[in-house]
Amino acid sequence: MEKALNRQRVLLQHLQPTSSFPSSSAALSASICAAGDSAAYHRTAAFGDDVVIVAAYRTAICKSKRGGFKDTLPDDLLAPVLKCDQVSRVRLPRGLFAPIRMGVQTGCSVLQPEKAWSFWRFHLALGLNLFHPDTVPIRTVNRQCSSGLQAVADVAAFIKAGFYDIGIGAGLECMSVDQIDRVQKVNPKVEIFAQARDCLLPMGVTSENVAQRFGVTRQEQDHAAVESHRRAAAASVSGKFKDEIIPVSTKVVDPKTGIEKPVTISVDDGIRPNTNMTDLAKLKTVFKKDGTTTAGNASQVSDGAGAVLLMKRSLAVQKGLPILGVFRSFAAVGVDPAVMGIGPAAAIPVAVKSAGLELDDVDLFEINEAFASQYVYCCKKLGLDPEKVNVNGGAIALGHPLGATGARCVGTLLHEMKRRGKDCRFGSGMGAAAVFERGDCVDELCNARTVQKNNLLSKDVQ
Amino acid sequence: MPVFKTPFNGYSVKFSPFYESRLAVATAQNFGILGNGRIHVLDLPSSPSPQISELASYDTADGVYDLAWSESHESLLVAAIADGSIKIYDLSLPPTSNPIRSFLEHSREAHSADYNPVRRDSFLSASWDDSVKLWTLDRPTSVRTFKEHAYCVYSAVWNPRHADVFASASGDCTLRVWDVREPGSTMIIPAHDFEILSCDWNKYDDCCIATASVDKTIKVWDVRSYRVPISVLSGHGYAVRKVRFSPHRQGLMVSCSYDMTVCLWDYMLEDALVGRYDHHTEFAVGVDMSVLVEGLLASTGWDELVYVWQNGTDPRAF
Repeated sequence: MEKALNRQRVLLQHLQPTSSFPSSSAALSASICAAGDSAAYHRTAAFGDDVVIVAAYRTAICKSKRGGFKDTLPDDLLAPVLKCDQVSRVRLPRGLFAPIRMGVQTGCSVLQPEKAWSFWRFHLALGLNLFHPDTVPIRTVNRQCSSGLQAVADVAAFIKAGFYDIGIGAGLECMSVDQIDRVQKVNPKVEIFAQARDCLLPMGVTSENVAQRFGVTRQEQDHAAVESHRRAAAASVSGKFKDEIIPVSTKVVDPKTGIEKPVTISVDDGIRPNTNMTDLAKLKTVFKKDGTTTAGNASQVSDGAGAVLLMKRSLAVQKGLPILGVFRSFAAVGVDPAVMGIGPAAAIPVAVKSAGLELDDVDLFEINEAFASQYVYCCKKLGLDPEKVNVNGGAIALGHPLGATGARCVGTLLHEMKRRGKDCRFGSGMGAAAVFERGDCVDELCNARTVQKNNLLSKDVQ
Repeated sequence: MPVFKTPFNGYSVKFSPFYESRLAVATAQNFGILGNGRIHVLDLPSSPSPQISELASYDTADGVYDLAWSESHESLLVAAIADGSIKIYDLSLPPTSNPIRSFLEHSREAHSADYNPVRRDSFLSASWDDSVKLWTLDRPTSVRTFKEHAYCVYSAVWNPRHADVFASASGDCTLRVWDVREPGSTMIIPAHDFEILSCDWNKYDDCCIATASVDKTIKVWDVRSYRVPISVLSGHGYAVRKVRFSPHRQGLMVSCSYDMTVCLWDYMLEDALVGRYDHHTEFAVGVDMSVLVEGLLASTGWDELVYVWQNGTDPRAF
């Protein structure tokens, strides 16, 4: 192995002439592919062992306590996504999963992680009843707002490692049912370290910290909120979300009369198309008297779920499944807890670099809008073109079901990429960031085989 | 003209000095980083058949970085292997009795081999162990080791007129000229500010030598006044991997580069770049000009393809 490394080093010197005399200590760094868009030669994007996304869907995202899912149990939220997503849309032939090892990872309810495992098992039975649910292992992950993205990344890693052949990375949050509680019992030692103490700050306070420390004005934040609503409304009206939303049949209880009414929810209900600067300016700040964070420029409290189906390219091609995009890289980077929202600004460059790209090579970004302050800061810090970021709105307009947002972002990105066409790369950022690619080798439309109706007659008769 | 697909990544290609339709290709698995190697001896089609045929192939335990045809026997081939060994193959013998010799003296990768065209009894090998070795077929060990370079020697090439003179190009950014009768190098030319990957003598002017470097340029030197180059040829986008003078025209040179192109140059013209071929889709690392057919070129690269074409035609058209 030493020999191979030395050879690589010698050859690398030919390509990266660092000094006039080659130093023998030139360090090699591992990266997925050092040839980005800027490379002189064409990057061959398609390998059989690429981890690809063949489906990504979500439920509508609804306001908690008042929205369409206020009377829906978390268990019932994701089951339709798994069911629709995997089975009917992609038309997996029955029994496909029998000889294949499959796994599910969920960025589960951030608020109720301990509850998650059991109800996941339960709704596997509901959702995946077509393929031996008891043999499919399940695991829940928690990385706060990035949980959904982390679940997708974990599945990709597991597939790469050969632990699964097919995996579902999903996310779910039902904030109508589960409350954000203060941490009950805290180790008294946290008081010793400022940074440890900062971990206990309410999220809104960290948003104020970001605004204050990096000089993000109220006006900038309100503007970001207006833009988010405007874009989300435009996308919703033009039917862009139709492809990614799975309608959920559930019930709504009238709070006054107590009458249950069956409904089908297929539209996000948090978007306010008429949001404007004047109205937002009137709102009171929530976390600090002279602060900047208001209910209007922070993400909404919501219910929702999303799921992403991943497998190796070779398997997708073999099964004739559509390839929406390729999972390229993932990175999670820590930041000062007092300004936790700036995570994307730290994680995105790392993920982009490890995909062998430059920020300019990325065509679309999806950055979580937990608060307008951190969102505006991240865009400014990275110098992103506003036309490339959250083109269909973000969590301020759509809502932020904590555990589901990551999976939601991946789905929104992939479907937007599909509309935009060929050869794009795109990143999704929260505290963690991932890069996906829609290269030359993804399917133009859909290569899913439609099942021909079999009339049970022999060929001779037809 | 025809194309030949090799299973491994191409590293070098050489026309036979005896048969106009024969050439040999050195290949290495996994880009020469790790794995086996294979030497292919190919015969070009006579006009009606469209296929290049393979006359023989020899597997090696490590990548083959370069090879040289013997100038004295039509069936002999010298190969420089990545494990540091120098192996001799005889095409007239069955594959089982090959290689007929294997010399293991270099402690690191052997990167080039060159057969003496004047005296025709000896050959040189250049290695990443910073040394050049002189060999003859009949001795079990090398005749001499030339060790002055401070980094990998990528190429050592005999002078086409003087039987005892050769030049070596090294990653220590110098070109050295040697006379085997002298104890040390007779000339040191700090030719580039970056690694020098290849050099070749002009076939019509025994004082003229070209060097190719990581600095993307080719420089042409006169050894009698080596302070400044006669000419600096720029046009490649990445390091220039190999340069060869034409056996037929004094000023003509061919080069290949990590920028995946093969370029033709005439250093005596004002617009020196006279041709550019971009048929390879990976690093172009091997190129040669036929001695027996004027204008016949061959190239190979990491895209596992060997192209043979007449200068002026499209290598991909056949």
